[in-house]
Amino acid sequence: MSRQAPKPNAAPSELPPPRAGGFGPGAGHPGRRGAVVKPKNWKDTLRRLWSLFGKEKALLAFIFFMVIVDSVITLAGPYLIGRSIDSMAGGAGQVDFALLGIALATLIAAYATDGALTFAQGWLMAGVSQRIVMNLRRALFAKVQKLPLRFFDSRSQGDLMSRLTNDIDNVNTTVAQAVVQIMTGSISILGSLAMMLYLSPLLTLAALITVPAVFLLTRTIARKTGPLFKEQQARLGALNAHVEETISGIHIVKAFNREEKVIQEFETINEELCQVGTQAQIRSGFLMPIMNVIGNVGFAAIAITGAWLSVHGYITVGVIASFLSYSRQFVRPLNDLANTFNLLQSGVAGAERVFEVLDEEEEPADEPKAAVLTNPAGHVEFDRVSFGYLADVPILRDISFESPAGTSTALVGPTGAGKTTIVNLLTRFYDVTGGSIRIDGRDLRDYTLDSLRRSFGIVLQDTYLFSGTIAENIRYGKPEASDEEVRTAAVMANADPFIRRLPQGYGTLLSENGGNLSQGQRQLLAIARVFLAKPSILILDEATSSIDTRTELQIQDALLQVMKGRTSFIIAHRLNTIREADRIMVIDHGQIVEQGGHEELMARQGVYYRMFMNQFGQLEAAAGH
Amino acid sequence: MGLLRPYIRKYGKPFAVAICFLMCEALADLLLPTIMSRIIDDGVANRDLDMVYRLGGLMLLVTAGGALAATMRNLIASRVSQRFGADLRRDLFRKIQSFSFPSLDKFERPSLMTRLTNDVTQIQNFVNGLMRIFVKAPLLCLGGLIMAVNLNPRLSVVLLVVVPIVALLIVLNMRVGFPLFARVQKSLDRINGTTREYLSGVRVVKAFNRYGQETEKFDSANQEYRKRSLAAARVMSVFSPSVMLTVNFGIAAIIWLGGRRVDAGHMQVGHIIAFIQYMTQILFSLLMISWVFNMFVRAKASAERIGEVFAENGAMERAPASAEETEGRAGRAGETAKIEFDRVSFAYPGGSGEPALREVSFVCRAGETVGIIGSTGSGKSTLISLIPRFYDSASGTIRVDGVDVRAMDPRRLRESIAVVPQQSILFTGTIEQNIRWGKEDASVAEIEQAARIAQAEEFILGLPDRYEARLGQRGVNLSGGQKQRLSIARALIRRPDILILDDSTSAVDTATESRIKEGLRKYAEGITCLIIAQRITSVIDADRIVVMDDGRVAGIGTHEELLRGCRSYQEIYRSQIGKEARADVPASS
Repeated sequence: MSRQAPKPNAAPSELPPPRAGGFGPGAGHPGRRGAVVKPKNWKDTLRRLWSLFGKEKALLAFIFFMVIVDSVITLAGPYLIGRSIDSMAGGAGQVDFALLGIALATLIAAYATDGALTFAQGWLMAGVSQRIVMNLRRALFAKVQKLPLRFFDSRSQGDLMSRLTNDIDNVNTTVAQAVVQIMTGSISILGSLAMMLYLSPLLTLAALITVPAVFLLTRTIARKTGPLFKEQQARLGALNAHVEETISGIHIVKAFNREEKVIQEFETINEELCQVGTQAQIRSGFLMPIMNVIGNVGFAAIAITGAWLSVHGYITVGVIASFLSYSRQFVRPLNDLANTFNLLQSGVAGAERVFEVLDEEEEPADEPKAAVLTNPAGHVEFDRVSFGYLADVPILRDISFESPAGTSTALVGPTGAGKTTIVNLLTRFYDVTGGSIRIDGRDLRDYTLDSLRRSFGIVLQDTYLFSGTIAENIRYGKPEASDEEVRTAAVMANADPFIRRLPQGYGTLLSENGGNLSQGQRQLLAIARVFLAKPSILILDEATSSIDTRTELQIQDALLQVMKGRTSFIIAHRLNTIREADRIMVIDHGQIVEQGGHEELMARQGVYYRMFMNQFGQLEAAAGH
Repeated sequence: MGLLRPYIRKYGKPFAVAICFLMCEALADLLLPTIMSRIIDDGVANRDLDMVYRLGGLMLLVTAGGALAATMRNLIASRVSQRFGADLRRDLFRKIQSFSFPSLDKFERPSLMTRLTNDVTQIQNFVNGLMRIFVKAPLLCLGGLIMAVNLNPRLSVVLLVVVPIVALLIVLNMRVGFPLFARVQKSLDRINGTTREYLSGVRVVKAFNRYGQETEKFDSANQEYRKRSLAAARVMSVFSPSVMLTVNFGIAAIIWLGGRRVDAGHMQVGHIIAFIQYMTQILFSLLMISWVFNMFVRAKASAERIGEVFAENGAMERAPASAEETEGRAGRAGETAKIEFDRVSFAYPGGSGEPALREVSFVCRAGETVGIIGSTGSGKSTLISLIPRFYDSASGTIRVDGVDVRAMDPRRLRESIAVVPQQSILFTGTIEQNIRWGKEDASVAEIEQAARIAQAEEFILGLPDRYEARLGQRGVNLSGGQKQRLSIARALIRRPDILILDDSTSAVDTATESRIKEGLRKYAEGITCLIIAQRITSVIDADRIVVMDDGRVAGIGTHEELLRGCRSYQEIYRSQIGKEARADVPASS
C-alpha cells in the first residue's frame, strides 16, 4: 500500500516503514534502527542467492514483471485525476462529461488492475519466499548435520542459533520485501519525474525545490544517528550481559550480599543507556517531522507556483492536482529507499552468514571403498597416534596401545591429559593428525562413518537429553525397541525406580535437556540409553561422575553386565570405578606414562599408586588394610 | 496497567505537554488541504494572485507552526520515554534483586531476563509511540472527518460508505490475521527449540547416528512454519489490495459526484482536490490505528509480565526473637553451638510437596568442621541453603550463635557466611575482581593468599595477565576445576565465621583437593566449616560427619563411629573403597 494514487498531503508520514506483510506482529517500531551489518561481498552473495532460488526463478521473474507493470499503471492514477479535474474546470454547467466519463472509466480500470496485480503479486510472493526460506533452512540444517564436531566446538551456540534463525528470516525479508520495494520505489521515482516533466517542467522545478533539502537533512541526520544507534546498541548489549549474569548468578549475589553493588553497576549502565538512547531518539525523531515539513513546504510551493502558472494560463488546475500526487510519489520513495537499502543490506549480510556455514568443510565423506562395520569383534589398536585440536598445540603424542576384543581399558590421569581426546578420535569426532587407529585390523577411515559410530555405545561426561518422554530418550539409540526392552534397559541402569516414582512414569515429558531431573538421574537415563543400543564397543566418559557412589555401585553390576564380551573404554576420576579394568592406562601430557592391571600398577608404586593412595590412602588406612 | 501509576505521576506533566504539541502538529496537517482548496477556488478561479500569495503565506506559516510543535514534541517525547524506560528497568531490577529465594524460584531465570530487557523496551516504545503518532492517528482521523464534512457535506456520502468498509476490513484483518501471526510465532519457537536442542546435543546425535530422526523433527517444524507463515502472508495479500481498492473507488466516486455538483454549480473544483486529500488522510490514520492497536496488545502483554514481577511479594520477614530464644542464648553461652539444627523440616514451595528435609537435628560447634554426605537428592544442598536463610524452614528451628536465624536480618547473617556453591558461578571482569567479590576492600596480599590456599595461584600466574586476566561471561575461558578454585578463593577471602563448601571440589583432582584441604586447615582455624562431599576422603577428617538419607539424618559421628554404627555410611564407604567390600552390599539396596 505504498504507492497508490493521490497521497494525502499531510498524511501521517510517520507511518512505519511499509512492509509487504503489513501490520501483523513483527512490524518494527518507527525510528528504531539497529546497527546495520554490512555485507562483505555484495555481488557474489546476490548472485549466489539468485542461483539458490532454483525452480522459483521463473515464478520470481514473473512476479517482478508484474511489479513493474503494476508500478507503471499506478503512475497513471494522478494523471487521470488531473484530467478529470480539468474536465470540470469550466465551472457550473461547463463540465465536460464525455471527458470526465472516459477519464474516470480509465481510472477505475487502472485501479482494478492495480488491485488485482497487487493481490496476485502478494499471493504468489508469499508462496515463493516461504518455499525459498524453507528450502534454505532445510539445506542449512542438513549441512549442519554433516559438519564435524570441530565446527561446533569452535563456535558459540548463540552465533549458530542466530544464523539458523534470524539470518534466514533476514534473507526472506530481502527477497519478499526489499527487492520489491526497491523496484517499485525506483519506478515510482523515475516515472513521477517523467510525468511531472511532461506535465509542466516549470512546476517540476518548484516541486523539486525541496529535494536537495531532503537529501542534505537525511544525510546529516543519518551521519549523526548512525554512530549513536551503534553506541546505543553497544550499551544495550552491556546491559543485557550484566542482567544475564546477575540474574543467572543471583544466588551468589545474594549469598555474598552484593545486591546493592550489583544494582549500582546496573544503574550506571542503565543511565548511560538512557543518555545515549535519548540522544539517538531525539536525533532520529527529527527525521520524520522534518520530512513532514519538507513535504508540506513542497505542497505549499506547488500550490503557490501552480496557482500562479494556472492564473497565467500556462497549466490547468488539473495539473496542480496531479502534481500534488506525483511530487509525493517522488519524494516518499526517496525517503523509503534508504530504509529499504538497509533492509537489503542486512538481508544480504544474513545470507552471507548463512553461506559461510554452507561453505564449511564437512565431515570427510566415506572413502568409496569404505567397508561397513558390522558386529565387529572390537579389537582396537592405536598406532603411533598424534593429535592436536590446534595445529601447533599437540594433545596426544605418539600414542600406541592395543585393546584386544572383549577387554576393558581404563584411562586415568589429570584433567586435560588427553583422555577425552582419545575417545573423540576413536569415534571419529575428530580425525588423527598422525598415525592410525584400527578396529579389527582396519583403519577407522576405511569404514563408513555411519557403521563405525553405530558400533559404539557412548555415555558422555555431559549427558544430553532431548525434549520428549523418558521412554523416547531411552529409545534414542534404538528407535524400534519395544516398551519391554526400554523397561529392561532402565532396570539394568537402575533408572527404573526413580522413573516409576514420577507421576507419568515412562511417559513423563522432559523439558529441554531434562531440566526437571537431577544430574544423577539424567546420567542414569543416558546409561540406560546405551544399554538398549547394545553396541560392540562401549565408551564410558566419566559416565558416573555425577552419581553418588552408592547409586554408582548399584549400576556397576549392570555396567559389568554390558561390558562383558565387549571392548570397553572407561574414563573416570574416581579410581575405584576402574579397579577391575583389564588394563589401566595412566595418561599425562598426551602420553601413556604407565599401564597395566590394578594390582600390577599398585605393586609398581608409580604414578598410579600415588594417585590411588591420594584418594584412598586414608580410607584404606582407616579400614585397617 | 496499574504498574504505570507511579510513572504517570512522575512523567504525566511532560507527557501531557508532548500530547498538546502533538495536537498542534495534527491541526497543522489538517488545515493544509482546506487552505489549498481556497487557493484554487478563491485564488486561481478568480485570477486573484494576491489571494494566492496570502493563502500561500498562511500555508507556510501553518507548516512552520507544525514544525515548531513537532520539534518541541520530539525533544520532550524522546526524553520522557527514555527516562521512563530507564526508571522502569531500574525499579524492576531492584525488585528482582530484593527477591527471596522462594520468590525467585517462581520465575524462570531466562524469563526474568526477558522481562527486564524486551518487555521494558516494548513498553518504552509504546509510550514513545503514544507521544509520536499513536495519539496523532485518531486525531487525524477524526479531524479529517470533521474537515471533510465541513468542507462539503454532500460529498461526505462517499465517506459514509468507504470508511465503514475500510474499518470493517481492518477489524476482519485483526480478527483473522492476529491469531495467524500468533501461530506463526509459535511454530517459529518450535523451529528454534529444535535447533537449539540439536546444537546442544550434537555430540549425542553424532554418537547415536540419529540424523534421520533429527532431520524429521526439524522438517516437520519447518513445514509447519512455512504453512503458517504462508497462510498469514496470504491473508495480508488479500487485505492490502482490498483496502486500497475501496479507497481508490471512493476517489473515483468523489470525482464523479463532484463533477456533477460542479456542473450544477453547487461546488468548486478545489473542494474535490481537498476532499481527496482528506479521504486519504483518514484512510492512513485508520491503518495507523490498527497498527497502534497491535502495538498496544503487545505492550499490554509486556506490562502484565512486568506487573507479575512487581506483584511478587516475597521478601523475608524477620520474625521477632522470642523470649525463649534470648534466654536460650544466654544459657548456652559457655559452649557456643555455632550452628544448630533443631528438628528442621522443609519442603520446597511449589515443589512436589514431598519434604526435602524431615526432622533434621544436629549441632556444629564453633571452629568445628562438619562433613555432610549422602546420595543425590538426599537433601544435602537443601540443608545448607537454610543456614544463610536462602529458604526458611517449615518447622523446627535453625540457630546460629544461639539465635533463631529467622529473627536475624538475612544481610547480617550472610555477611558472616561464605558459600562455595556446587556450580561455580563467576562474573565478567578480571580474576582479581572476581576474588574481591568476597571482600570489597581486600588488599592485594589478601587476594594472593586466598588464591594460594585455594590452589588457584599456580594457574593464575600461568595466565598472560595473571590476576588482571579477564574472564568472559560466567568465566567461560576457564576449566571447571579452575572455576571451582576461584570460587573457593572468593569465599575464603571473606574470612567468614561459617564456611560452606557444597561439593565444590568435584572437578578438582584429588591431589589438588588434598592440598586445598591442608591450606584450609591452617587458614580456617576458628572458622566453622560445613563440607558437602561425594567422596568420603573429602570429609574423613571432619570433626563430625552427618549422613543424610532421603531427607533424614541417618547417622552422626566421626568416621570411625559411623563405620561401626551407621549402615548408610558403611554402604557409601564400601562403594568407594572398591571391590573387596562389595560382596557385603545387599543387591536390593
